[in-house]
Order: sequence, then C-alpha cells, then structure tokens
Amino acid sequence: MLKKLERCVEFGEKLGAGFVEARFDDLTLRTLQRFNDVWKDIILRSRAGIGVVCYYGGASGYSFTSSKEDKVLEQTVTRAFKMAKASAKAASLKLDFERRSSVKSQKSDTFQVKTHPQTEDLDFKTNLVNRTVEKARECGKSISSIIGRYGELYGRKLFTNSEGSIIDWNFELVDLNCRVTSKTVSGSLVNGAEQAGGTLGLEHFNAEGSTPEDIGEEAGTRAKEQIRAKPCSAGRFRTLIENRLVGVLAHESFGHLSEGDFVVVGESPLAGKMGAELGTKNATIVDYGTPDISKFGGLWLPYDDQGMRANKTVILEEGVLKHYLHSRGTAKYLGQEPTANCRAVHFGFMPIPRMTNTYFTAGDLTKEEALESLDTGVYAIQTSGGQVGGDGSFLFKAIRGYWVQNGEIKEPIREVSLSGNILNLLSNVEGGTKDLRITAGYFGGCGKSGQHPLPVGLGGPELVISEVTFGGKAG
Amino acid sequence: MEYENLNDELLSAVDSGLKYARTVDREAEFELYLFYDHTTRAKIAQGMVEATDGNVEGNAIRVAKKNSISFASSSGISIERIKRSINEAVTSLRSVSIKDERFKGFCSPKRPGKEGIFTKDVLNLSEEALINIARNMVRESQAFDKHIHAVESECFAEWDGFAVGNTNGLQQTSRSALNGCEISCIAVKGEERRTAYEFDITRERLMKTSGIGAKGAQKAISLLDAKKLNKTTVLPTIWVPISAASYIYASLGQSTSGGNVVEGLSPLRDKIGEVIANPGLTVTDDGQNPTGVNTDAIDAEGYPQQKTTIIEKGRLNKFLFDSYYARIYGTESTGNCTRHSRLFGSTLPYENSPSIRPKNLEIKPGKKDLDALIASIDGQAVLIVDVPIGIFHSDVSTGEFSAVAQNAFLVEDGEKQWSLEPVSVSGNFYDGFKQLRDVGSDLEKTVFTVETPTLVFDGFSIVG
Repeated sequence: MLKKLERCVEFGEKLGAGFVEARFDDLTLRTLQRFNDVWKDIILRSRAGIGVVCYYGGASGYSFTSSKEDKVLEQTVTRAFKMAKASAKAASLKLDFERRSSVKSQKSDTFQVKTHPQTEDLDFKTNLVNRTVEKARECGKSISSIIGRYGELYGRKLFTNSEGSIIDWNFELVDLNCRVTSKTVSGSLVNGAEQAGGTLGLEHFNAEGSTPEDIGEEAGTRAKEQIRAKPCSAGRFRTLIENRLVGVLAHESFGHLSEGDFVVVGESPLAGKMGAELGTKNATIVDYGTPDISKFGGLWLPYDDQGMRANKTVILEEGVLKHYLHSRGTAKYLGQEPTANCRAVHFGFMPIPRMTNTYFTAGDLTKEEALESLDTGVYAIQTSGGQVGGDGSFLFKAIRGYWVQNGEIKEPIREVSLSGNILNLLSNVEGGTKDLRITAGYFGGCGKSGQHPLPVGLGGPELVISEVTFGGKAG
Repeated sequence: MEYENLNDELLSAVDSGLKYARTVDREAEFELYLFYDHTTRAKIAQGMVEATDGNVEGNAIRVAKKNSISFASSSGISIERIKRSINEAVTSLRSVSIKDERFKGFCSPKRPGKEGIFTKDVLNLSEEALINIARNMVRESQAFDKHIHAVESECFAEWDGFAVGNTNGLQQTSRSALNGCEISCIAVKGEERRTAYEFDITRERLMKTSGIGAKGAQKAISLLDAKKLNKTTVLPTIWVPISAASYIYASLGQSTSGGNVVEGLSPLRDKIGEVIANPGLTVTDDGQNPTGVNTDAIDAEGYPQQKTTIIEKGRLNKFLFDSYYARIYGTESTGNCTRHSRLFGSTLPYENSPSIRPKNLEIKPGKKDLDALIASIDGQAVLIVDVPIGIFHSDVSTGEFSAVAQNAFLVEDGEKQWSLEPVSVSGNFYDGFKQLRDVGSDLEKTVFTVETPTLVFDGFSIVG
C-alpha cells in the first residue's frame, strides 16, 4: 500500500502540484449494544480508504476513494489537483508552508497494550456488556431501561508526502459504558451513567473501578440517587466542576477557539490575543497527543494526518494565551510551530485543525479543600455533552450534581446545565484539585465542519469556579 | 459511476451480493444495503479556499438465523468488499449465541413510493462554479456593512443513491440530488462579536445565491449593541422557523420514534389519542413530499416511504416505525427506517445499523405572521432568531432541555426591542407543547429537514 501512496504523490507532483500528501486508513470498528435484555447492535465495520491532498499556489484540493485500483487512484489525484488549481485562482488568503525534513515512524510509536481487542473473540466482549448490565439491574426496582455498550476502533494509519515522510502506526481505542434510566414516583425519567475508555488494553476492564461490575453499579446507583434529586435552580452560583466536565470545558469552550483555522479567518475571539491574560493563574490548558496514558488515561495519537509528530502544546499558561492548535499552513501563517493537530475523522475528509487530548492541568487542592473553597454552591458532575458558539458562549450539560452548603455535600440535583462565556469563566477559576484525569471514548466524539465523531481525549482536575450560570427552573 | 445508471449498477451489485450470500448460508436470511454518493464542495473563509470532491461508497449486510442477527459493513461496493461484509457478518453470527426473540424477519417486497424531484443542473455544477458562488456570497456580505468582519461561505452539489435487497425477494433503489449554499457572518463592534447564519438548500432547483450574503450580514448587524436582560424569570419565547425547527427536531424527532416508544424511553409512549399540545399544532412527517430533502422511493430497509400524521390538532395520533419495531408494537411500518439524514446525518450511512428517524417533518401553519405574533405579546418576551446552542443535548427520556439563545431580542408590549446578550432558556419540551401559545403563518424549510412557521411558547425559564 505504501507504494500506491508514493505513486499518488509522484502523480500529483507530475500534474503540477507543489506538494502532495497521501494517506491510507484501514480501520476496524466494532459496536456492541445491549438494550435491557435485547442485543440491539452487534456491528463490525471495515473502514478503508485513501485520501489525497494536493497543494497548488497556496491553496489545497482534496479527494478520496475507497478503491485501491491504480486507475481510480489516478482519477482521485487528478480531482484533488483540479480542486487545488481552481481554489488557487480564487484564494486571496494562502496557506503555504515550508518543506521540512522527512519524518519516519518507529514501531514503538504504536501504543502497546497487553490485551489488544483484536486478540479476544466476540463472546469475551459481549460478556463484558452482559456483566455491566446485570450488575446495573441490581440497583433497584425503579429502573426503566439499561443500555450497555462496548466499542472498539483500531487499525493501521499510513501516510506519505512530497518530503518523503513514511508514517505507519496503529490506532487503538476501546470503550465500555452503561446508562441506566429510572422512573420517579411522578413518572419522570432520570439517568445515571458511567464509562471507561481510551487507548487501553482489554486488561483495563479487570482494574479496580473499571470492571464491568463497577461500571454497571456506578450507573445504577447514580440513577437511583437521581430519583430523589431536585431540579437545579436557575441562577448564578459558585461551582465545583468534576474532572470529566472540566474536560468538556477545556475542549469545547476553549480548545475549539484556539484551533488555527478559526484564528486565521478571524472567527475566533482568540484571534490577535496571543500573550493576552485571559484567565486566572489557576487556568492552564494543554493539548497533547501522547500523554502518560498509564497515569492519566486518554488517547494515543503520535502523529496527525499531515504527518506531524505529536508534541505538548501549552495553549493557555496560568491564564495567558501562549499558542494555537495548528495545521502546517495555519502555523506558518500565524508565525508559530506546527502542533500536530491536523486531523480528519475518516478518509472522506480533508484534515483540519482539531484537538487531541485537551485538558486543564492539575492544581494543588485536595478534594476536601476544594469543597471547603466552594463553600456554598453546585457540585456539577459528568457530562452528556456541550456546545460553544463563535463568540465563546457555551452550554454544558452535567449528568448530575449536588447542592453544597458550607463545604458539605447536601442533596442531589438533576438537570444541571452550565452556561456562560468561556472568557469570563476563565477569569473565575479559583483553583484545581491535584488529580488529573483524561477520558476518551468510542461513543460520541468531537464534531467540526461536518466531521463527526472524531475520537478525542479531554480532562483535567476538579475546578472551583467563582460564578457559573445555571439553566433550570426559575424560582 | 454516473447518475443516470446509478440505480441499475446498485441493483446489479445487490443481486450479485445476495447470490453470493446464499452460497455462504442457505438457511440464513440476508439483507444487503449499498450506498453511493458524489459530492463536490467549496468553502471560502476570509479568502482561504477549501475544495473537495469525492465519492463515498459502501455496503452493509444484516444476516439473521433462528432469531440471531448480526451486522457488518465495509467501504466500497465492489463484489469483493460486499463478500467481505457477508463473511464477517456470518462469522459473527456463528461465533456468538445471542438471540433477539423479537426479530421476525426482514422487510417483504412492496410497491415503492416515488423519488423526490430534482434538477439535473445539479449534475453539471463544476468546482469552479461552486467556488465562484461561494466567493460572490462573501463579497455581497462584506459589502453590506463595515462591521462585517469574518465571513465563511460554503456551497455544495451532491447526488446519491442507495439500494436495498433481501432474501425475501425485495430489491429496490432510490436516488436523490441536492445543492445548497450557506454563509456565516460575524459582525464586530469593539469587543462585541455577533454571528448570524443564512442558507438556501434545495433539490428541485439550483440554489439561490443572490441575496443570501446580504441577508446573513444584515442579521449579524442587527444583533450588535446587545443589552443584558439582567433577570432570572419565566417569559414567553418566540421561536422563528429556524429555532422552532431545532425545537421540533430535538423533541419530536426522538420521542415519536417507535423504537424509543417500545423501549420505554419516550415520555409520549402511553399517550396515543391524548391531547399533548395546543390544538393549533398539527405535525406530519412526509417522506413523499416531492421537494423534501429526505424524500425517497423507499426507506433504508426497502419499505415505501409515506406521509404520517403524528399530531393532529394537538392530539397524539401516530408514532414513526420501521418494520422491526412496528411488529413489536403491533402496527405497520411507516417507512421511517433510516441510516442517515441528508444534510446533518452520518457521512458514511452504510456504517449505521437501521434506526427510526423522521424524513421531512412539517408543521401546519397558523394565521398570524411574525409581526402579528410579536404584537400579541403583553409585557416582555424573548424572540429567539437562531438555533440555541445545546438544544440538541437534551434527553429524550426526560424532555428537559436547557439551551443558550445567543441570538435573541427582547420583545416588550408588542414591539421588538433591542438585541439581547446570550440568555439561557430552559424547560421541558412536552410541557412546552401544552404551553404553546401560537403558531405562525410564516412557513419555512430549514436545514433540520423540518418545515415550520414561528412558534410561541409560554412558561420557559430565562436567565440573562
């Protein structure tokens, strides 16, 4: 296959392209989903295809195919070149980049797990889900439904370009999760959820806190607890935000605004603010493709889809904007170094600036100190998603929460929706706990420009925020 | 692959695939789904051009035997790739003893519905033409006002088709073509940034490109000089067609799915025949609307698409079904089996197992235009003019939502006042339908494949 990609590059150059990138993804995706007693999905997907980017006159064109036939590949390269040439005529903003030394991957670039999902049979994996669902079922008679899901995504990623780079590595991601819906006395439905996932071997599901029984029990227990939860009041409150929700904050609220393409075209409110103080000293946000997964969790991404080797990018350092997240073109345009953030969700898309593992760095508080610092307000936990607007507006949904009074956790609350503007929120970060956690999953993922769901890691410590707006019932 | 012979080529591949499947296991039932899409797309952002052109093609197989069922898919529609999926699915079926007692077989052949209409001009839209359209939209927008700072425009031309065949003798296809353009404009004044969006997406004609850029710019400019609402309260909310469409899709798009009803996830599950909304609300799903984006001759399992009245004059009439859930519920399929929704669905639909989704939701218009609806407000209300962020992060099982309306205006004593800084809007979708105060006459098609007029609700909490 490498030879075919190299021929794509040669053919593109022969057509007149100034630079060509060719990549091949050969990925396997497995989804297992059990809904109460019924298996809803036992799905295996094979996703293989070739994508070609041609650069011409500071513009780019992209085409792709799932065929490996030489004739089709030539047509694909020709289409990419035609698109680039047509774009160059119309482009007034050019994103050139300089040639660099070629990059050659090593075998060690692939993260080594003890039990790769490829080595276990289907029964092993369905059993993980069954154990999760059965344990969750033990958590009370009010349960309305239980969804147990397992997902795996793995396979080869091959890349070459006009610099002669040869990058050949294997992506891997597994995920086991459970969602329990319970019915309250009044008939309304409430949820509990738990998940473990990332670039992990299946041995991870033997570890304390991550076994199928642990995941099922946690989801079931939380759904049970939510039966007596009151809706979160609307208003502005002091808040302690739990790790996973902090991760959404880092990713959705700030990370997207720091993506180079948004900055180049002036769409991001962070455009032109390099070096500006945007937050308190307790706000440091990092994007890193190869974090210490054994310690913190996350996703292993040693290269992006433009052949750049992963590095650690400090986006915000103690409240000061330090770097954007780049493709090669946006890095050159904005006078910064590439950050290995150019990714595509699959071969059908051109790579664009995206995040890898994005997280707030740890602080120095213990959990008790964080609650004490919160004093009175909302403790918001887990997330069912979030979204951010172009001006920094955001809305994040916590799955559950607690009302905290004088540093003590009181009653559980539900329908906890946090909203505001990220640039205001960063100025309200009072402190973080010592425990950094990064989570990643097969289900869900990041969406941008029609490319969804891209696996990402996100996380942080628990953060104390002086004021957050909560949607909910107006008193 | 050419549009003209797409149906024939897909049917031929389905036939070959099914013949092979029978050689693998004579006792099993098979269903084969093939998908092909060609899209050319051009995007311009501040002078930076991105253009892509390519084909998405893939296959999916479902195999069933003695109440066990499995699914496999792969990219490509060559017989080798189809065989790969068939072999994977059969291996999966044989290797694991999982039963679905509710499965009673794939779809039986029925006479298909009609494909939607489309203009063949879509097939001739070149990359140069699309780039020019995108560029002209940007120019029009920037010329509108000096405060228009960043503009991103995008246009596309797309044609696709799919075929479904199964061992019950069903072999059907459907094709579609779309084209469209959209623009996002940011108006900047000092530190204030306001974003607005405008679009035209159609299948029956070429996209209208003139005026879209100016309209987007005008919307963004109108949002400047926003003021804080500065209160936490309960107010009426006026949702113009684009925001109303997001409300409808986020709520009824999920809760009327027969799958969510059967599985106990929909709060509407026991309410057929009950009044669940203001009598002014009538909602249909029309998979045969000739100009509907998701109109096809068949759904994703080969069942004919049709028109279904979901809510009639406020009374819940019918849920949407595929054949699997219809049998469990004891009814007929409504032709709503889906693997993707055009415009905002998956880009690789063959990778999705079938689910139930509305095709083209339509809200029957009322009698008042937007001005009359605004004039009917006593005291204060919030006019929501774009999709509130977070509206799709609501939970089907609870119906409770909380979203941020970034683009909103204050309405006071029957008049539209000033633009508001983002306000949080929250409540419960289904309580909302009961508190629906009015349905407007200004029917519009939207990107959510929902055609709706403005809707006015009482009773939502506002934090601003």
